[in-house]
Amino acid sequence: MSKEDNLNKNWKKDFPIEKQQATNVSRRDFAKFLTLVSGGLMVGSGLVTAKAYLYPKEEVLGEHFVCNKDEVPLGGTRAFVIEGSTIPYILIHLETGEFKAYEQKCTHLSCSVFYKPGTGVIHCPCHEGSFDAKTGNVLAGPPPRALPKLDVFFKDDAVYVRAVQEEKIAKL
Amino acid sequence: MSNFRRSQNQSNPNKLNAILSTLIFILILNVTMQIWLLYVALNNALDNNKEILIPAFVASLILFIIGISLLYYLPTGNRNIRK
Repeated sequence: MSKEDNLNKNWKKDFPIEKQQATNVSRRDFAKFLTLVSGGLMVGSGLVTAKAYLYPKEEVLGEHFVCNKDEVPLGGTRAFVIEGSTIPYILIHLETGEFKAYEQKCTHLSCSVFYKPGTGVIHCPCHEGSFDAKTGNVLAGPPPRALPKLDVFFKDDAVYVRAVQEEKIAKL
Repeated sequence: MSNFRRSQNQSNPNKLNAILSTLIFILILNVTMQIWLLYVALNNALDNNKEILIPAFVASLILFIIGISLLYYLPTGNRNIRK
């Protein structure tokens, strides 16, 4: 048996799948895999929907005392947590004299945000995200949504917060 | 024994290639749209906008069903008789 014959014969035996078939098989598998990924994304979308409807985000109920007005200087902030919840909030005393309360978690990746005194900007140091301190809207950077906020109101000298009223009216 | 389909495939071997490439192209397009839908749904869910969630899920489901039904047309390749 010549070397040539031997090669042809044994090569066929060792690798019985022809080249064209081999590529067909792997691309078929790829197509099936893509369908599997598609199914996974569909299930993920379903889970997001189910979670949103079955376990809605907890709303702040009632009114909560934070501190007295004179405890937060102009341009200063105070972190607080509402009883029965673990979500951190910050109360900001803006240079204009207004009080604002926002969730302290950046809407990008939940880093802690802080108020930059004198600028009117709430800043996230992780990825340089900026929020407007007056409205909570995104000014710059990667955050996809505005900071969730609370309504601030006063009883004499005491600062209280409650859930934003407009939303409640809209939902009723 | 040869039949009509086999001789057709043998004389036009690129036909299956084109079908498979097109299928994969459409599937990738579907998956891309589903990724976008999931991204939008998640963003809106976190923002408490629930109106968009069910339509996004239904769209995703339809794309998945399209993908599954396209698999019916997946060519099985030319079965050559080996001796």
